[in-house]
Amino acid sequence: MTKVLAIGVVNTKRFLREKANLFFVFVFPILIVLMIGAFFGGGLSSTVGVYAPGDGELSKALVQGIDDLEEVKVREYGSEAALIDGVQRGGVQGGLVVPADYDERLAAGETVEVGYVARPDQTGILLGETVNGVVQRQANLVRAARFAAARAGVPYEDALPVAMVVAPGTERVTVTTTEAGAEDSLTAEFEGLGAFDLGAHQELILFMFLTSLAGSAALIQTRQLGVARRMLSTPTGTGTILAGETLGRFNVALVQGLYIVGGTVLLFRVDWGDPLGALAVVVAFSLVGAAAGILMGAVFSNDSQAGGLGVLIGLGLAALGGCMVPIEIFPAGMQAVARATPHAWAVDAFSEMVRRDGGLVDILPNLGVLLAFAAVLMLLGTWRLRRVLTR
Amino acid sequence: MAGNILEARGLRKTFGDLVAVDGVDFHIAEGETYGLLGPNGAGKTTTISMVMGLLERDGGDVVVDGKPISTSSTSAKAAIGYVPQDIAIYPDLTARENLDFFGRLYGMPSSTRKQRVDEVLEIIGLADRAGDRSEEYSGGMKRRLNIGIGLLHGPRLLMLDEPTVGVDPQSRNAILESVERLSREGMAVLYTTHYMEEAERLCDRVGIIDQGQIKAEGTRGELVAMVGGRDRVHLATTDRTEPAVGPLQQHPSVDEVTAADGSLELLVRGAAEALPRLLETAASAGVSVTSVDVVEPNLEAVFLHLTGKALRD
Ligand SMILES: Nc1ncnc2c1ncn2[C@@H]1O[C@H](COP(=O)(O)OP(=O)(O)OP(=O)(O)O)[C@@H](O)[C@H]1O
Ligand SMILES: [Mg+2]
Repeated sequence: MTKVLAIGVVNTKRFLREKANLFFVFVFPILIVLMIGAFFGGGLSSTVGVYAPGDGELSKALVQGIDDLEEVKVREYGSEAALIDGVQRGGVQGGLVVPADYDERLAAGETVEVGYVARPDQTGILLGETVNGVVQRQANLVRAARFAAARAGVPYEDALPVAMVVAPGTERVTVTTTEAGAEDSLTAEFEGLGAFDLGAHQELILFMFLTSLAGSAALIQTRQLGVARRMLSTPTGTGTILAGETLGRFNVALVQGLYIVGGTVLLFRVDWGDPLGALAVVVAFSLVGAAAGILMGAVFSNDSQAGGLGVLIGLGLAALGGCMVPIEIFPAGMQAVARATPHAWAVDAFSEMVRRDGGLVDILPNLGVLLAFAAVLMLLGTWRLRRVLTR
Repeated sequence: MAGNILEARGLRKTFGDLVAVDGVDFHIAEGETYGLLGPNGAGKTTTISMVMGLLERDGGDVVVDGKPISTSSTSAKAAIGYVPQDIAIYPDLTARENLDFFGRLYGMPSSTRKQRVDEVLEIIGLADRAGDRSEEYSGGMKRRLNIGIGLLHGPRLLMLDEPTVGVDPQSRNAILESVERLSREGMAVLYTTHYMEEAERLCDRVGIIDQGQIKAEGTRGELVAMVGGRDRVHLATTDRTEPAVGPLQQHPSVDEVTAADGSLELLVRGAAEALPRLLETAASAGVSVTSVDVVEPNLEAVFLHLTGKALRD
């Protein structure tokens, strides 16, 4: 164990001595944090296109409610066709269609459908959730007013302003919204997710893994220097050498991960769920990343080759594991494939904590799977390192 | 056999079609210095790597200090200090950091480690540069650090693989002196080299290795006796050499004559006295000698005798 520590400490020490690496650990993550902020936080707002031909109070209030959101801007369109065109061209990230007779039909006690159109990408879906929140809030008001009208005999028109005042805490009702490009079950899935948290979770996992794979260069260099082989001439087994090298890279990944989490919390109030749980996920995933990087370092003998392939593998696994597009919109078969990546388990752990209010206990299965990934990668790495050093 | 720190038997290693080591047996007694002398590509590094348990072997066993050694041994390696042919240090760490790191891998407790690192820095003459990154060292300094790591834990057997290659004469002498001192202190040494003088100076016994096989083994005296204590005389001539072969063979002090294109090789007892008459004989046979080279019996001559080629070209 002290040998593992010795190797790990030297690995990290050498890593930090390289000035370029300081940039990599301490500056680059800031860029990632800012990027997360820009894409998913308040920095760059999304725009919702709106086609709301009616001039009723509720219709206007609905549009105003969306416009009032800090991170969302509204652009009005003159026709539904123009709106859809705008969405398709990417001029706006989502489109809301409020029927002309919205107010009238609500007053008549009908259920009204508000249309939401978006391309089935992450931003569109997340924006849809935000819009849905505003619609639901108004639905509550309508529901309350109807309730008052029915029970107390107050006319609906009079009850509505009152309901607007007492709105918080009233029961949820059904103004049906249909979302173009996404299914209803998704709506439930993303409920409770703060403004743009999902994107940050995915970015973190993608980035941590990608940079961990770059750690392969460290082992390749140690091998090229002949030091890895020389370590084997001391009373030190291959497993210990591999564990030590992994520890060195683990330190780096952990610092980066915590740095990004901390930065996004402080700057953009990203919700990472139960702090203890989030820490556990970052720790477990750092270990997975480090072990994967070291395995690559034992497989390849040329660091530029390993580097190039690392980027491909890093991005490929991220895409497969739901770090680019949420796994929930994958077809069922692909979801099963995604489960073969550590990424999916890590992102799911955050989802469990943030969307489904889970705690450390609820993500124990995820942590277990991540640790199993790390163990398997380390075993493979040990086997391969021994081969490559002794043949 | 009792009293042997190292026993290697039947070592064999092939790389594809190439048989790099082909049935090598040798042993080293406690405190003995054993040399593997052979030219480039003879199989010295391959042999020492198998002995150290760094290279998977295709056959044979190694026992060090009573414990078998393989690539999966760990504790058995504690008895050995290993100095690889190619410098293996972290260039971005200082000498002290490199030594400390390997000290930890040898399992030295921190109390003795610090003191021992200082001692080794003195031995290898790097005490005043101990805090500089080793990439800033000269080639000879790096070599000395490379050696120092192998000495660190006071091993019972030190294995040095051509430690003086590419080193200036002064550093080389310092290295040889260190090895002599360690040997006097009781450390057994396995030393590979293609320098005959180093093998003669350092080694109690020498194995002459070529093409993966130990061709002969023994003390310097034993090996030299194989060429019968005779001097090897090399005569460079004008093209025609045959006419001189017969008359030279008649000479009482000449044991053997071989003619090659433009040269004659003679095995002679007491070359110094016989030489003038040998030259006369050649001249009267009509062969004019352009240069004379006398090799007194040494390991170089033994090697030449055994393999028909020089240790180095
Ligand atoms: N990893 C390898 N793959 C293929 N061939 C190898 C390998 N290592 C050594 N050889 C071959 O095995 C033979 C013996 O090599 P080895 O390095 O043991 O020689 P050596 O006696 O140490 O030579 P030198 O004095 O040049 O260091 C050579 O022909 C070499 O080319
Ligand atoms: Mg060699």
